[in-house]
Amino acid sequence: MHKRNAAFRIVKRSEYSVQRMILYYIIAILLAFGIGGILLAALKVDVIRFYKEMLTIGMLDNAYPYRSVEGLIKVFVPLVLVSLALSLAYRMKFWNVGGEGQFIVGALGAAWVAMLFGERLSTPVMLLLMILAGGLFAGLFGVFTAVLKVRFGTNETLLTLMCNYIALYVLKYFGETKTGWNLFLSKDSARPKFEKIPQNAFMPTIQMGRFSLNISLLLAIVFTVFMIFYLNKSKQGYEISVVGDSVNTAKYAGMKVGRIIIRTVFLSAMVIGVAGACHVSTSHTLSTSITNNVGWTGVIVAWLAKLNPIGILVTSFLISVLQYGTSVANANFTAVDANFANLLQGIILFIILAVDFLLKFKIVRTGKTNNNKEVA
Amino acid sequence: MSAMDVISLFVYYIVVYNIALLYGTVGEIVTEKSGSMNLGVEGTMAVGAIGGYLMGCLTDNLYVGILAAFVFAGLCGLLFAWLTISMQANQNVTGLTITTFGLGLYFFIGKGIGKAWPVMQQKEHLLQQVAEIRIPGLADIPIIGKGFFHQNILVYLGFLIAIAMWFYMNKTKLGLRMRAIGENPAAADAVGINIKRYKYIHVVLGAGIMGIGGYQMGLNLGGTFEGSNCWINGYGWIAIALVIFANWNTAKAILGTLVFGFFNTLQVYGSALAETFPKALGFLNAIPAQVYQALPFLITAIVLIFNSVKKNKTSGQPAATGINYYREDR
Repeated sequence: MHKRNAAFRIVKRSEYSVQRMILYYIIAILLAFGIGGILLAALKVDVIRFYKEMLTIGMLDNAYPYRSVEGLIKVFVPLVLVSLALSLAYRMKFWNVGGEGQFIVGALGAAWVAMLFGERLSTPVMLLLMILAGGLFAGLFGVFTAVLKVRFGTNETLLTLMCNYIALYVLKYFGETKTGWNLFLSKDSARPKFEKIPQNAFMPTIQMGRFSLNISLLLAIVFTVFMIFYLNKSKQGYEISVVGDSVNTAKYAGMKVGRIIIRTVFLSAMVIGVAGACHVSTSHTLSTSITNNVGWTGVIVAWLAKLNPIGILVTSFLISVLQYGTSVANANFTAVDANFANLLQGIILFIILAVDFLLKFKIVRTGKTNNNKEVA
Repeated sequence: MSAMDVISLFVYYIVVYNIALLYGTVGEIVTEKSGSMNLGVEGTMAVGAIGGYLMGCLTDNLYVGILAAFVFAGLCGLLFAWLTISMQANQNVTGLTITTFGLGLYFFIGKGIGKAWPVMQQKEHLLQQVAEIRIPGLADIPIIGKGFFHQNILVYLGFLIAIAMWFYMNKTKLGLRMRAIGENPAAADAVGINIKRYKYIHVVLGAGIMGIGGYQMGLNLGGTFEGSNCWINGYGWIAIALVIFANWNTAKAILGTLVFGFFNTLQVYGSALAETFPKALGFLNAIPAQVYQALPFLITAIVLIFNSVKKNKTSGQPAATGINYYREDR
């Protein structure tokens, strides 16, 4: 038999301090950068210069700094939309890890509409149709896991995980197989290659001097604001938080828990699909690596931000800088692989997952002066 | 090549190119049965692969490499265990982070140090040590002899671990206790089982097993860092699917590996089969590669749905997997 350490006890904290959280997170990021710096130094890379270039996303000593910002926005918008959407499902403890697949299905749906109607529609109508199609396809693709979960208790983590790969290979099929009916492929190229979407399906930009602002950024910000109101002020938002807290409470209060879960997961998957649609429209073409791992990164962002919409906005921005910055810096530092961003992101998250413990629990002395040092 | 040889070679490829799936699956089953859901298989295998390869090259010894793969991947497991068991972090997020981190580390070492450090290129002798060992008698069985009994040590070790783990989990007292934790940690705690210790040991053990599988994949590919893909190339995710297909049973995982391996191999070897048997198997040429690639996931999704719809009582899915155990929450 083992004895528990009697001098200290771990107790759940009753309240959550945001200030303490921010302080811990800043320490975690600095620590991760420190570890990353040691690793970079091992590669004989000029650490300061690398970090400087990464964190400024290569805007220094650059004749076209606004292009860096445009590039960053392309990474940022899908990430923030996907993270917000995932957080919606996580608020009810529905573990949707199917962001990758839902993003792909949304992108496919949007590209399909764009290819089908071609140049016939005006840009606003076309964009609206693409977003509708992307959202609807992805929503249906996601909602069936929720229906199964509610009806039969199917494990949603594993099922959405499988769906990611099914969607990926459907996309690859369209990208790599030339058939008469496959309208996604270029007709001119002998090798299978995704065709550009028609010009009227391109995401419009607002010219601000030489910088062109992508409209989808406004969409992401508007959606964040909508989420804040939806979660805090609407009846549906209230239902989500009650179900997330305790399914039993929700049941006793007369809520239709199953319906709430299905509705919310549909919304979650739909927004991810819209993100996919916007991304196709912004990048002007499908590709087999269209997700850029946004479905996975989104899980991490949603969790880091504690499912808080403003937190997600900030965290998405930081992670985008990290990822895009590394890929920019990668051009000048060939020894460092672009995956360095993943390494750094992993280290940051490990530290934050650990310090989260100190936010959730506190260690208190029990007053007993038992010198038994054996730890359980 | 005679028709017999073509089939025999097909079986050989199924085993040698998919045995890593068995390692990954067995490792994940051990982890899940003790109550932890580690979604970091892909990353853990990558870390095991690169760690084993690095140490194998350094010492010029295959066996040191195997040990190192186990240890490096085991450290990933230890990190997962510490974060989820002691620090009560969410298991899904921690697992995904292990994958992000593991792939980052793989590319950092592989593409960064790999090019700069000559020792990473000294693999010829290491690869020679992965020679095939012929088991006399059994290797002469037609069709399956070459595939199962004329393989390298890492293939035999994979089968051995799967069987040993089946025995451990089903026939020993320790294994029974470990499964009790995966089903109902509060009850196991009440009868005095040290939950933390059991969970730590099995998460680390499971991760270590995954790591050896990663190492096997790396050596299979000849230890080159060309191309943008990781050596593991998604096998870690297939392993998670295979756990469900094998119904959390490491002996069935052997069968599952062969089934999934069959599809994986058809994808690259289907045309050779179609050529040899144009009448019976000619249709294989018409099936797109993506169908084979998607099949493991599609089959698993169907099994998953089917099990839950039928409320399958014989399902081996441990009830408490993925849920952190905090004693005072009871």
